[in-house]
Parts: sequence; C-alpha cells; structure tokens
Amino acid sequence: MNNVLVYVQHKNAQTPKVTFEMATQARKLADQLGGKAYALVVGAGSSTLAQTLKSYPLDAIYVNDDGDVDTYLLDPVIDYLEAAAKTIGSALVLVANTLTGKDVAGRLVARLNAGVCADATDFKIEGGKIVAVMPKMGGAAITNCELRAGDYGIVTIRPNAFAAHAGGGGATVQAIEKPAGKTYSVVVEKDVEESSGELALEEAPVVVAGGRGLGGPEPFETLLKPLASALGGAVGASRAAADAGWVPYSLQIGQTGKTVSPPLYIAVGISGAIQHKVGMRSSGTIIAINKDGQSPIAEFSDLLVVGDAFAIVPELTKLVQAAKS
Amino acid sequence: MKIVVTVKLVPDPNAEKRIDDSTKRLVRTGVETVLNPYDEYALEAALQLKEKAGGDTTVTVFSMAPEALKETLRKALAMGADDAVLLSDAGLEGSDVWASSYAIAHALKKIGFDLLIVGGLSDDGSTGATPGALAEYLQTPLVTNARKAEVADGKLKIERETDTGYQDVTAPLPCVITTALTFGEPRYASLKGIMGAKKKTIAALTVADLGLEQPVGQGGSKTQLLSFAPPPVRGKGQVVEAADGPSGAQAIFAFLKEKKLV
Repeated sequence: MNNVLVYVQHKNAQTPKVTFEMATQARKLADQLGGKAYALVVGAGSSTLAQTLKSYPLDAIYVNDDGDVDTYLLDPVIDYLEAAAKTIGSALVLVANTLTGKDVAGRLVARLNAGVCADATDFKIEGGKIVAVMPKMGGAAITNCELRAGDYGIVTIRPNAFAAHAGGGGATVQAIEKPAGKTYSVVVEKDVEESSGELALEEAPVVVAGGRGLGGPEPFETLLKPLASALGGAVGASRAAADAGWVPYSLQIGQTGKTVSPPLYIAVGISGAIQHKVGMRSSGTIIAINKDGQSPIAEFSDLLVVGDAFAIVPELTKLVQAAKS
Repeated sequence: MKIVVTVKLVPDPNAEKRIDDSTKRLVRTGVETVLNPYDEYALEAALQLKEKAGGDTTVTVFSMAPEALKETLRKALAMGADDAVLLSDAGLEGSDVWASSYAIAHALKKIGFDLLIVGGLSDDGSTGATPGALAEYLQTPLVTNARKAEVADGKLKIERETDTGYQDVTAPLPCVITTALTFGEPRYASLKGIMGAKKKTIAALTVADLGLEQPVGQGGSKTQLLSFAPPPVRGKGQVVEAADGPSGAQAIFAFLKEKKLV
C-alpha cells in the first residue's frame, strides 16, 4: 500500500475544496510511503477539471468524461475506482468525508476487501505503517487507527483539516477505459443543486453561528451575514434556530447537523448545549457572544464576551471591514 | 414485501461522553444502552412503507450486539416491527467496519429481504461506510439519505439529499437504502405496542450460522485501534464583560488580531 489514489467528487467540474486538500496530502503520503500519487476524475466535465488538478503535485490523473457516471447513481464510479485501484496494483484510497464520499468508501470496503478509517484530520506514517488520526464521538475522543497491511486501505478525509497547495504539478492526464460488461439500474431522474454559489459550511474558514438568543430569522440576515461576509466565512446555526424554522436545516451545526472545524468559530446567542458542542468543538479558535456569562459555552470558548450581541456584532463588522480595506 | 431494518445499540447519546483517564476507555457506568436514535428514523420509514403497502408486508429488525442487550430490541418491536433477529457472538468483539459489515451482510443474506433500511448515522464511532459495504456484499443497489420513498410497480422511487441539494432516483428491488432525519420523526410506542412486543420473537444467530470465509472480530479486522484518548483540554478562556457594543467589539477585534485571524 505505498501508492495513493484520490477519488475526485465533482459535478460538471465543480469540486469541493477538499479535493485539492487531498491532492496535496496524497503527494506527502506517497513520498513518505515511497509510492506515487494518483487521482481519478470521472463523469461529465472531468477533462476540464483534470486541467485544474494538473497544477497540484500528483503523478497521474485518470480521466473519463463518461456520462453514465451522472445518469446512474454511484455504481459506475465504484467500477472506475476498482479499475484504477487494480491498475495501480496497491493503494491507499483517499475519499472526501462527504455524503457521497461515505457511500463510495463503504462500497470500496467490500469491493477491495479493505479496512476504512473515517473522518481523518491527520496522518502518522511510521516505518511504512499508515495511521490515521480521527476525532470520534463528536470530538470527545481522538483515536489513532492503523490500516493493517494489505493491498488496499481507505481513508475518508475531513474537509478543512489539511492544507491545499498548488505547485509541483506536471501530472500526466491519462484516459481510463470504461469498465466493460457492466449494467446499471439506479437512475438519477432529477438532480437539483440548492447551494450553488454558497460557501459550503464544512469548508468555510470562518463560521459565524447564531442560536436561540437571536430571537428570530432576521438577525441571521442583518447581523450575522455581514460579519461572516467581512470575515470571508459562512453563517451557521444551532439546532434551536433550525427547529424554530429561522434557518434551513442545512445550516444546522451539531450532533444531528453538520460537523465543522474552521480556524475561527464565532457563536452568537448560543448557549453551548452538548448537541451543539459536538459539531464545533474542534474548531481552531472559538469566540462566543452571550448575554449570560454562566452559559455552558463559557467552558469551551477561548473568549466569551458577555453583552448584547445586537450592539456588539455590527460594531465588530465595521472593525473587520475597516481592517480589510 | 419483506423489509429489514438494521439497528445499532449505543450508549445513551444524551449522556455526555467521557473517557476515563486511567483506563483510556469510554465511561459506560451509569449510561443506559438504547437504540441508536438515527436508526429509529430508519424504522419509522419501514413502518410507514409497511402501512402504505399493506398486505403481507413485514418489518424485521436486525442487530449485531451482545446477547445481554437483547431486551433493548423490544423498543423496536413496541414501535411496530413484527419480529427481530440478533446476531451475537463473542467472536465478533472488536470487529472493525469491514469485519462487521462482512458478518452482518452474511446474516442478512440468510434472513433475506426485499428492502433493507439502514440508519444514516450512528451515535458512537460513526464512519458512515457500513451501508455501502452491506450493499456491495449483498450485491444490491444503494440509495442513501432518503427523505421520501415509495414502492410502485416493484420499483423504488426515492427523493434523497445530496451534498449540494437533492435528487430523485429510481431503483429496483431488492435494494439497500438509508434514511435522512428529514424522513420524519420516529413514532412513540403505544401502550398496546409495548404490551404486544413482549410476545414477539427475537431470533438468535451466531457466527457459526453464517458460513464466513474470512475471520472476523479483532483478529480478522483490517484496521486496528491504537489509541483512544480525550482531546487536548480546551481550558476555559477569557471572559470579558462588555459595557456596550463598541467595547465588546473592540475586545473581540483585539483578540482576533492577537491570534492573527484578521
């Protein structure tokens, strides 16, 4: 298992940032393991995306613009990945820890008869041994998990945990043949994009999240959004805010929502119940604004400002805007 | 139609998870074992599909867990499942995702199903990879994160959540699906359901029943847990009382500058 293969999830060449984080990490891992770094890009728009990927430090990029990948759900991707993995011979397969990535990883576990480590935020390579570091149980534990020796291993990668650096490119782009003799039965009849243009919450470098203390939907637009924009980040919410219907569930951070670990997390009017805490406690720096100095969030924020968020946030937005201009 | 729902038994998620400093293990003392809350959504989906289909549609609950936890499955039976199957074997202890999926898939093959519904998440060491591995071993399609599902003319029509929106897909049966939390809140067990559950069957399977070709358990696993430790302690940070908006904003801004975040 000294080679590394990155599965590139995309739609019409639009790919999440984690793809480039994986491409960068693949090089490091391949160098430490003494192998090569590969990527697989299949489906409409792949040739275009491969050109972008070429500026990352990979050795080879396997490409096929096969429309079946978009017409049928998942199965063609797995056949391509199996073909690529078998061509390479032995490989550590990196997959983004997204909804799609989890499905891909699961299928590969059985298809390649391989172990999986999920939601990795770091690696330790010692004497050819591959160890993935993963926060588990909502960050209550950090586990080190070794992939035992074998031809293949799979690791899903948490977005925003690894750095992406272009450079050291020069990968060859190679056509990969469509796996022969396959028929597919799960048809995608309709595919609707709802979040185009919006910065994905899991990948945002800054998250400004609001909770019950905001009292309604308007402050998410008028108070949080300008601060998030000024900081180049995205708006999130606690379960209380999502349950109240103030924001869509897609913005909910916590146990039943998304897990984020941005370098900067600002919690506004969020008490910090366990439900919320497990979705954000691995963030870099946590700042809270709350009118109650005794709220649970005081226990795990780096800075708690006790005061009126409606007065503080607009002033803070102005300071950040002024600093940026 | 035979619907099978897999459920996981987990420590009560409402209890805060803590690692014992000396043993480096999860503290389970005083923490009740419950049905993984996300799996209750899968069961709710199964019960809704059964109600719609009527006729001879049945719902079987499947779990892999120590025999001592058998009675926890009564809750699923009280919610409305017809019967349950529990796979228990000391030889399964320490199984990783590969080994558990491999063993569970063989058990499910034995049980048989038209539709297998798996919860989308588990509340303990979640990887999200199990449904995919099961589908692969069972050689059926996989449709994850369903928020609506119906069976018409022997086909499944599903609306599913994706990373960036949603999709409508059709799939043949047999099929493996997972449910999103938006599928619908799980029902409460009625008193009648609770009474009725006492008479329902919980069948037992062991590894010897499965005819496995590869070893499972900790020894057969393809990953090995090396360490399990609490995260670095996040000490209580500074607390600043802000007299007014500008002073609160200044305190935060100075902090951001100090941390080089602006």
